[in-house]
Amino acid sequence: MGAFLVKDIMLLLRDRSELLVLLAMPFLLIAILGFSLRGIFSGDLEALEMDVAFVTLDDEAQAVEAIQNEIDAMGIPQADAEALKQAAAAISPQTMLVSLLESENLDGLIPLQNMEQAQAAEGLEEETVDAVITIPDGFTEAALRNMLFGSGDGTELQMLAADLTSPQAEVLNSILEEFVGTVNFEAAISRLAGGETVTGAEVAGGVETITARPPISSFQYYTIGMAVMFVLFVGSTIASQANLEQKQMVFDRILLSDRPPLLYLGSKALAASLIVLVQLILLFDLSSLIFRTFSADSWSFWFGVAIISVVLAAAVGCLAALMTSLTLRLQSDAVPSIFSGGVIALMAFLGGSFMPMGGTPEILQTIGNWTPNGAAMSAYFSWLLEPEAGNLAGPLTRIGITALLFLLVALAVFPKKGEVL
Amino acid sequence: MLDTDKLTKKFKDTVAVDNVTISLRQGESVGLLGPNGAGKSTAIAMISTLMKPTSGDVRLHGKSVLKNNGAMRAILVVVPQKIALYEELSAYENLKFFGRIYGLTGKKLEGQIQYVLELVGLSDRQKELVKNYSGGMQRRVNLAAAMMHEPEVLIMDEPTVGIDPQSRNHLLETIRKLNREQGMTVLYTSHYMEEVEKLCDRVYIMDHGKVIASGTKEELKGILSEEETVWIEFDKSYPKLFEKLGQIEGIQHAVTDEHSLKLIIPKGARVLGTLFHEAERYGAQIINVNVQTPTLEDVFLRLTGRKLRD
Repeated sequence: MGAFLVKDIMLLLRDRSELLVLLAMPFLLIAILGFSLRGIFSGDLEALEMDVAFVTLDDEAQAVEAIQNEIDAMGIPQADAEALKQAAAAISPQTMLVSLLESENLDGLIPLQNMEQAQAAEGLEEETVDAVITIPDGFTEAALRNMLFGSGDGTELQMLAADLTSPQAEVLNSILEEFVGTVNFEAAISRLAGGETVTGAEVAGGVETITARPPISSFQYYTIGMAVMFVLFVGSTIASQANLEQKQMVFDRILLSDRPPLLYLGSKALAASLIVLVQLILLFDLSSLIFRTFSADSWSFWFGVAIISVVLAAAVGCLAALMTSLTLRLQSDAVPSIFSGGVIALMAFLGGSFMPMGGTPEILQTIGNWTPNGAAMSAYFSWLLEPEAGNLAGPLTRIGITALLFLLVALAVFPKKGEVL
Repeated sequence: MLDTDKLTKKFKDTVAVDNVTISLRQGESVGLLGPNGAGKSTAIAMISTLMKPTSGDVRLHGKSVLKNNGAMRAILVVVPQKIALYEELSAYENLKFFGRIYGLTGKKLEGQIQYVLELVGLSDRQKELVKNYSGGMQRRVNLAAAMMHEPEVLIMDEPTVGIDPQSRNHLLETIRKLNREQGMTVLYTSHYMEEVEKLCDRVYIMDHGKVIASGTKEELKGILSEEETVWIEFDKSYPKLFEKLGQIEGIQHAVTDEHSLKLIIPKGARVLGTLFHEAERYGAQIINVNVQTPTLEDVFLRLTGRKLRD
């Protein structure tokens, strides 16, 4: 196998255009994306600052009174009725939302200006405000009814933004969704727990849990995102080489040498794995050196990164073997061409190389998690946020399973000893 | 030593090789002559165990190699029509790779690399990348790579296509040396008649997938023992005259080639007077007339009515 391996690596080292794709391109993208999106990922929250108009169409006092009257009419024991009435007066979903938006966690990024509906619409039109949050009529009553009685569909908020696709609008939208979801969820929990009501502090705590993690910087995100994406190109590079060997009849020469054909396939997988490892080492090291991406200098941190990288490299090796088998079987370069021309971009998107997949449909997230690159991203991020071995088990198992599948199909498709194509 | 028995290969409705039976004796040099598309490369692929025949058999020392091709692959090598080398590697690196996959290591590997490089005359340029070589030099390395494991049978598929005369002569001399001095059995396919005439003891002529004639060069030329070839060169092309001459009574086959005309006529036929008369009538100037001994090209023309390189 040594002869095959040395040959494959020498061929790659002499192919400057491939080296450019495998090393220079991801590094360039890390630089561009890392700089341009640094505000969103790094906790440098100034980039998210926006002026928000706060419009209330809801009469909170009237809603509390209506709910309290309803409690009186329920005919429940006096003590219970009093407790529920106090809870209705204390919860105040509107106050919870304002507290959340003005909380220390958001560092004053979303200054709220109370406005009338028409004034807010005018402000949005004239771009003096970036977004409008509207508390619709019946908001408090719906929230209280959902929390205390478990009836109705829960709360809803309205958000209008000058540019709904801007990162700021997306962040605000996700905060509001989180709030609504938390309120409705906490309501359900409180009912299951025996009717105890939630407090503002608990809700804020829920949000705090999300923001309390050490933030991932844009350079960290895109170093990992681009690295796991560009390692996939090694698979198509290796398969393209196999296609060239077949076209130039070098593969015939190899077959006539009567070496076990699996040696050839094994060398392709091993060469791909080794190249991926070198690629990852260079990308992580260069990014750390130039952009100070990974400040963690402990051996244990890098050991974890190395473990993930080795598993990912093995998976790409199996992928390269699969593509080599298909290429030889189909006697065409269609497989590496389609893979490098579209499938890699799709896998990168699903795996989250370009942007976090949190807001996408669950089915896409599930598929992404089962791609080797997506699972590797999860593993790297888990390790970066919380370097505990247990966190790696899930993603590494997923990578292992997909790698095994690739390998089994590759072996099934590859021509056997003595077989001719 | 090596025989095929009614070897046939069909691709859907096309019969690429049709009941081809050929044999090679140890140490002889056999030519497989035929135009492009005659089925030579397909026949070679089946003989070398790289392609399964639709029917028929390939035997080495009387034993079929279709199910167990190891014995055949151990002694045989194919020099393909394409440059089956890694262009981004040097000649030396290519030879080292092919030597290693045949199990050569250490001094034996190094010795064999230097031997084959000397054989093809590229010792002094062994470190250059193959992509920087001329077409002829690449062909020589192509042969050298095949020689790495000292095969007994050398099958060459149009090895001189597209190379300069000097490299072509070098290659032909090398093959002749391997055959005459080292006793290597050679199966040489080409559509260049003169190469086959120069190198081979026996010849099979293929056309449309079939062997249409076989024998020694003399036996094949004997097909034309009752005929002779007249070659006439004109100052320029005269299509109408050439057509008219081809229809003269007694002329069996006529083939034009730019300014010249080749005619196969029965021995002793008196047609030259008529030829000159017609040429004069068309105002054509004859530059050269030559009555030739038949070549294998003429044999092919006689058998198929076409030129080898049509």
